[in-house]
Order: sequence, then structure tokens, then C-alpha cells
Amino acid sequence: MSSEQVISFRNVWKKYSKQQVLNNSLREELVSVITGKKCREELADGEFWALSDVNISVMKGQCIGLSGHNGSGKSTILKLISNVTYPTKGIISIKGRVAPLIELGAGMHPDLTGLENIYMNGTILGLSIRELKRRIPEIVAFSELDEFIDVPVKKYSSGMYLRLAFSIAVHSPADIFLFDEVLTVGDESFQSKCLERIATISADNGTILVVSHDRMVLSRICDGILKLEHGAIKSSEGL
Amino acid sequence: MIHRLYCYKDLLLVFIWREFLIRYKQTAIGVIWAVLQPVSLMLLFTFIFGAVLQTTQKNYPYVLFFYAGVLPWTFFSGATNFAVTSLSGNFNLVTKIYFPREIIPLSGVAINFLDYLIGLAVYFLLLLVYRVPLTWNFFWLLPLLIMLVLYATSVSLLLAALNVYYRDVKLASTFLLQFLFFATPVIYSIDAVDNRWKMLLFLNPLTFIVENMRRVTIEGRGIILWQIAAEMLGVIVLYLVIYQIFTRIERAFADVI
Repeated sequence: MSSEQVISFRNVWKKYSKQQVLNNSLREELVSVITGKKCREELADGEFWALSDVNISVMKGQCIGLSGHNGSGKSTILKLISNVTYPTKGIISIKGRVAPLIELGAGMHPDLTGLENIYMNGTILGLSIRELKRRIPEIVAFSELDEFIDVPVKKYSSGMYLRLAFSIAVHSPADIFLFDEVLTVGDESFQSKCLERIATISADNGTILVVSHDRMVLSRICDGILKLEHGAIKSSEGL
Repeated sequence: MIHRLYCYKDLLLVFIWREFLIRYKQTAIGVIWAVLQPVSLMLLFTFIFGAVLQTTQKNYPYVLFFYAGVLPWTFFSGATNFAVTSLSGNFNLVTKIYFPREIIPLSGVAINFLDYLIGLAVYFLLLLVYRVPLTWNFFWLLPLLIMLVLYATSVSLLLAALNVYYRDVKLASTFLLQFLFFATPVIYSIDAVDNRWKMLLFLNPLTFIVENMRRVTIEGRGIILWQIAAEMLGVIVLYLVIYQIFTRIERAFADVI
């Protein structure tokens, strides 16, 4: 583990709306395009803080667990790290390539074969086509799906589907890996293979963030655990 | 835009390839669909206007007249139709992983452009069959193609972004496209239109594009320089404005989709 900071959240706030239709949002965005002003920082009707005043600092090579009840802000933190969304207030700085395994197989298409989906999902995770060609034997071997790789994934069982998605994800050459509730993939032998793979990534100085409800798993693989409650960090162990 | 997309060029390629695969998977005749749609529309119009209504538009064959109009229209409506739901339909990608969002609507423009090129090959065959003389004016097709792609891209980006906020866009775009079809000289010639309405119709860049595609190929005439300069400028400015807005509001897509 080095002392280089790769993820830093400073006083980060994130506002979400409960309403389904955001009548004001488009108008606000357009006004901000023209005037260059930032969003409103106060809460309007039906809005709430998904994160309030969060400070996080993760060093290169660390494995951090995030735990907390549903809606406590775990996934929001991962979304902010992967640049899918942006903070309402505060500063986030990320160093390195992020592989967001937020939901396995988000880029899978049921009509495409396993192999075609490897290209699809791999490029979504930031691999180039050339890199992918080189890694495909490795990815296929890890997923244990050799016989089924030319079958459309709509014919896969849900376990096979997740195994393929996980294999693509952990073979991307990222610096930061985000896992959201994905450690319960496949049967027991595949699960222990996944945990081993995470340990390898850690040993190679990859930074990992894991979201899980399973405290046992978290304490086994993580250097530290952040416990979230109502969008704020309640406690941090081992950090 | 080119700089932004360069890092993601492989993703764009894979998206185009994916759309191509999905489109023709489990189909019996595959890529022939790309030709079938414009050809059957052309045959329909030829039948209706030639045999049923017996109108005359120009002094050259109906087949050429309608096919030349149908081809760019099919591309434009195909690309924009794809774009409208391209972002909202891929919400599981948009809310999970970052990449320049324009990649998805752009892949729709690209895939429809591939179809268009196949259709264009058939067009050249038809020109040969009807013994239309080849002239240097054919090269005017190139700037017209650039205009067409740029305009289709702009409208696609705009509709895709708006549909993220309001699903009304999807419902509105279906009949707006029908309106636009009649505002574009696909089934008539702009020469037959009264001068009062001509200017209004030329506000639609497609009018200029379709009309001049016929002019430079079938009629073998050149384009008036100031006209294409003005239309081109208009299309470029429209594109720049829309792209600027798109990149500014795309960061909020994941929150509102």
C-alpha cells in the first residue's frame, strides 16, 4: 500500500428529488447553461440530501467496505466516484481509471452471444478492442463458460449471466474497482474464486470499494469499513 | 466533439456493431431490409401518383423522382426515431457507467447511414438503368451528404436529450415526423409550390437537401453557391448550439432519467 491518495471527497453534498417528474430540472439546467450559475443549494419541496457533508479519503491499494441500510447513500457514493452523477456541493477528486461494477451486466444485450457481450461490456468499462482481444481467453476461462460462449445470453441461467459479467469486470485494467452487492455471484466455489480475485487485485495495488450487507465478508477482505446512516458517515473502522 | 469522442472511439464502434447485430439477428433476409424499405415506399408512391392520381411532377421517370426523395428521408426519420428513446431506453447504462452520452444517439445515426449508403448504391444502379448522363455535378452530393448527416445528428441529439426529461417528446416526435415528411419535397417538387410558401419550406434544411440531390444527379445541374453556403452555415450553427447544450446538460441525465 502506498501513501498516494486516489479518492478524495471533501464536504460532499448530494441532493435528490423524490418526485418522479422534475418540472424544474430542465429549466434550471438551461438557465445554468446561459448564465453559468450553479444549481440552487437549498432544498425545495420533495427534495432531500442523499449525502450530507461526506469526507472520504482512500489511499492507493486500499480495500474499503461500505455498509449501511438501504438508502443510506452507499450507491450514491459509488455513482459519484464513477462520474455518473455530480455533487451538489463539495469537491471530489479521483486519480486513475474507474471500473464501476455497480450493477453487473448493465451493458449486456440478451440477443447477443457471450462473446459479443464481452466486447460490449468490456468497451463500456473502458477497454480498447485490442486489449479485449488479448484478454478474451482469460475472461472466458475465468467465467468457466467455454462451451456456452457462442450462445445468446438470453439462454443463460442467471448464475451463468452473472459469472460472465463478473469475469469481464474484474479483467479490466482499471485502478479503482467499485463493487455494489455483487459478491453473491454464482455458487460457493465461484464466490470463493471472486474473493480470491479481489485479493489479487488488492495485492497488485488496485484500489477497491465494496458495498455489502454481509459484515462477515466485509471484515474478511477489507482494510477498513465505513458505516453510513442517512447520508452521513456514522463510523469508520480501520481507517 | 472529436477530442471528446476520441478516447471512446472503440466504444462508439462497438455500439454501432452491436446495433447492427441486434437489428439483423433472427431475421430471415437480414441486410436486404435496408433496401426493401426505401424501394417499397418508392414503388408505392409511383403507383399512387403515377397510376392512381395520374399527376406529373417532372419530365423524368417517377421511379427516380420518388427514390431520390425517399432515400434521404428514410435516413433522417430512421436516425431520429432511433435517437428519441436511445438514452431513456438505455437507462441502465446511463445511470450506472460514465461515457459521453452522445455515443448512443450517434450510433443510431451511423447505423442508419450505413443503410443509406446501401440504398445509395441502388440509386446509382437506377440512374444507370434509366441512362441518366453522369456529370461533374454529381460531386455536389458530398456537401449535401455532410449537411444531411449533420442535420440528422443535431435533431437526434436534441430529441434524445429532451426525452430524458419529458417522455412527451417520444409521443410528439411520431407525428412531428409525419408533419415534417409533408414539409419535405419527397412526394412533390418545390418548383410546383407558390413563391409565398417556398421561403417557409426552405427553413427546413431537408427541403434544400432533397431538392438539390435530385437536381445534381437526375438533372445534372449545379447548386447555386450562395444558397448552399447559407444553408450550410445554418446547419452548422444549429449543430454547434445543440451540441453545446447537450454536453452541458448530459451530466444531469443520470439523476432525472
